[in-house]
Amino acid sequence: MAEVEETLKRIQTQKGVQGIIIVTAEGIPIRSTLDNASTVQYAGLIQQLVMKARVTVREMDPQNDLTFLRIRSKKNEIMIAPDKDYFLIVIQNPTD
Amino acid sequence: MSTSTEKLRKATLKVTPSSRKTAGSTSGLLRVNTRSAAASHSRKSFSLAGDSRLLEKGPAPVTGRGAQVFDESGNDVTPRPLCHPDPATMQPRQTKIFAAQDASGASVSDFLSTTFQTTNTSFAGPFTRSVLESSAMSRSSQSTMESLNDEIEDSSAKCSISVSLSDLQVKKEEGKEVMREDMLDDVVERYLTETGTFWLLDMPAVSVSVDAAEAESVKERNRAYIDLCKNRMGNDKYVERGMQTFNGALKTKELQSEAVSLADAAVMATTWDMYDTYSSDGGVGEATESADQSTSPDIILSQSRESSKTPDRTMSVLSSTSMASSLSSQKETAALFTLSEDKASPQLLLQSEKFQQDLCVMERVVLQNIFQARLAAYRRLPVLKDPDTLHKPSETLGAEMGAVPPAPALELLWSFSCELTVGQSVSSMAWNKKNPDLLAVGYGQFDLKNQKPGLICCWSLKNPMWPERIFPCQSGVTALDFSASHPGQLAAGMNDGSIAAFSVQSRERTAVLESSECPHKHSGPVWQVKWTDQDSGPWGEDKGETLVSVSADGRISRWILRKGLHCMDLLKLKRIGSKAVRKQGGEKTRRSEAYISRQTAGLCFDFHPRDPNIYLVGTEEGHIHKCSCSNNEQYLETYTSHKGPVYKVTWSPSCPDVFLSCSSDWTIRLWRQDLLTPVLVFTSLHRAVFDVSWSLRWATVFVAVNEDRLEIWDLGANILDPTIVSSTRPGVKLTSLLSATQTDCVLLGDSNGHVGVCQLNDLGAGDSQVNWKHTHNGRQVNSNSTSHCFACI
Repeated sequence: MAEVEETLKRIQTQKGVQGIIIVTAEGIPIRSTLDNASTVQYAGLIQQLVMKARVTVREMDPQNDLTFLRIRSKKNEIMIAPDKDYFLIVIQNPTD
Repeated sequence: MSTSTEKLRKATLKVTPSSRKTAGSTSGLLRVNTRSAAASHSRKSFSLAGDSRLLEKGPAPVTGRGAQVFDESGNDVTPRPLCHPDPATMQPRQTKIFAAQDASGASVSDFLSTTFQTTNTSFAGPFTRSVLESSAMSRSSQSTMESLNDEIEDSSAKCSISVSLSDLQVKKEEGKEVMREDMLDDVVERYLTETGTFWLLDMPAVSVSVDAAEAESVKERNRAYIDLCKNRMGNDKYVERGMQTFNGALKTKELQSEAVSLADAAVMATTWDMYDTYSSDGGVGEATESADQSTSPDIILSQSRESSKTPDRTMSVLSSTSMASSLSSQKETAALFTLSEDKASPQLLLQSEKFQQDLCVMERVVLQNIFQARLAAYRRLPVLKDPDTLHKPSETLGAEMGAVPPAPALELLWSFSCELTVGQSVSSMAWNKKNPDLLAVGYGQFDLKNQKPGLICCWSLKNPMWPERIFPCQSGVTALDFSASHPGQLAAGMNDGSIAAFSVQSRERTAVLESSECPHKHSGPVWQVKWTDQDSGPWGEDKGETLVSVSADGRISRWILRKGLHCMDLLKLKRIGSKAVRKQGGEKTRRSEAYISRQTAGLCFDFHPRDPNIYLVGTEEGHIHKCSCSNNEQYLETYTSHKGPVYKVTWSPSCPDVFLSCSSDWTIRLWRQDLLTPVLVFTSLHRAVFDVSWSLRWATVFVAVNEDRLEIWDLGANILDPTIVSSTRPGVKLTSLLSATQTDCVLLGDSNGHVGVCQLNDLGAGDSQVNWKHTHNGRQVNSNSTSHCFACI
């Protein structure tokens, strides 16, 4: 448990990281470093997107599955590690 | 009735009606009449044609055309006959027609049985003639036809009955009576047509050839059947019995039920959905439904609630995605799956293995974003400019100096360090043989007065901010090496003489094997360890990798990792006095100097890259010995030139006969295997050279580290001075060095615990092969060492 906490803290202190959100598969945020409104918004939107991505991947080949998703935008990058139980979302702006 | 009894005898298959019933309800009669009349008018026409008698037809439906159906508005919606047979071919085919109208099934018999019911006692005798006539015609046909003919007869009889029974049909035909009398004298033309043949049942006979295999059995069966038919007549086995079934009176009953509620259900059959269902054993018992949930109309809600509890990962997520997906497994969740562990608990979630892995990956991804440019430079990939960053104008300066080739430079890309390693001194580094991104760094003090517990950290290139593995050690680490055959094994030599083997694959922080209990362990710090591949050990063991170590107690030992560490001495380093230098290969000790111990400390060794039996040892005395594994008493050669302890000896990876040595006498010497004096001597500063390493990429380049600078020598360019010199900050001493494959970089360890990755830019050395036979004279700058003149060899 301590290792998990340490790692989270390390990620949080990396350069450019704007926030970390951990959401359950139902959309309930377990942990977040952003404010509640943003967290809920991110959780909801990303959940839909991940499902769509997963369906896409699996439709092509049912034995395949989604492991990671990165969305690069102008202002930042959203990195999502999906799982059946949770989503781990990190928002970073690496050019800061 | 005689006629009826006659009929009875013939009509074996026919049900004999009892005339008792005829007196029954007239309405029933009438109904029956019309029914039968309507249905069997075709047969009527046959019989009439057969009789060639013009029988008057009673009710209007009995016309050549058949019944006429009119709907409410008076339109003629009579169904047209199915076929229009040729009337000319009718008559000769009558028997056939009769015959053809074989066992027409129960329905006909039903009708006719009902017609039988209508027979009246007043069934006139004269009409039997017609009956008999038609029956006579048909007598030639088979017995089975008799029944049919009976039917026909009956129908004909019935027709006539219906025609003649004027008293019964009074009500119906009242209107027509008048017409008849008027038209009695008229010649009425009636056209009789024959309807087409309705094949109700066609059982073609099966013929079997006499030669066929089943012929015998078929003949047997036929014979048996014929016998049966013959015996049937008077046999007691067959009894004719009359049965009468009751037609229950019909009653209309009304019923009202609630409207059936309809619900729309849709399933999206997608490839992954089907795959999941099949791969999880039909999905039974895989999906879960909590006890308190009944069939909720909102499928999405129930699915999403279940999804966190479903062990099957993909199915649950998909069930929450598809809108109306009703997985078959969900329907089978009548068996309630009680989960003892509530996986939706956030705490458990965070501690799960998968989460930790994901975190690890995420950390690397985040760091990759930060370090992308530098990692790309390390891996010799083109560095991509981020299109969203602002372009700085100063970057274009470099392009203006196009004419002048840029000077070779050293650029620090990044540095491996973390809070654990601050303050420790880097003593050794080793690359993993299998995974070129993995680096092991050992931290320990060179200073014997100040002993601290050491540390080994395994760093990955993908995460320069935090080591992947941390192994705390009791004493300072002085030597490290990764095994080649077991890439996860890391051997470490410590300051207290012990050797430990770690497994980097597990997350445990303890050593797999330690030599602390070994009776022959080293008593001095282990200065170098190396895994080597031996063809076959002197003990006749299998070919494999063994660990060789050299330590300050003067022994070079080989260790076998089998249920603990066992060591065997390869060589004991004996002291050689300086006077013995004059002699070639002399190893006897001289009494001229008194020694405290007869053994000298070995500081470094290196196995020949081509021949694993030959190795070089550098000693504290300054001698370099070439030894063989098979000979543990004598040295093959001794190279003496250094004045101080030899810190590093290393074969050239590109040239098999050449090796370098560096020592604390401020010099680096280049030797050839067969020459006992160095070919070249390099010196630049009056500082002890701690480490020297050939560049793995360029054949003429080697890197040396003295106390406070890093020097890169390019022999192709300049043998007197280092090509690149890079100084460190004051107070920080550079302690160790490592070259890397597939990259231009060099790793530098310093006394502050940083391992810097420096990129060598624009060395311009190329891959030129230096021909060692044509070396030119070297000028010795250092006055202490002897100067040599070479001629071209």
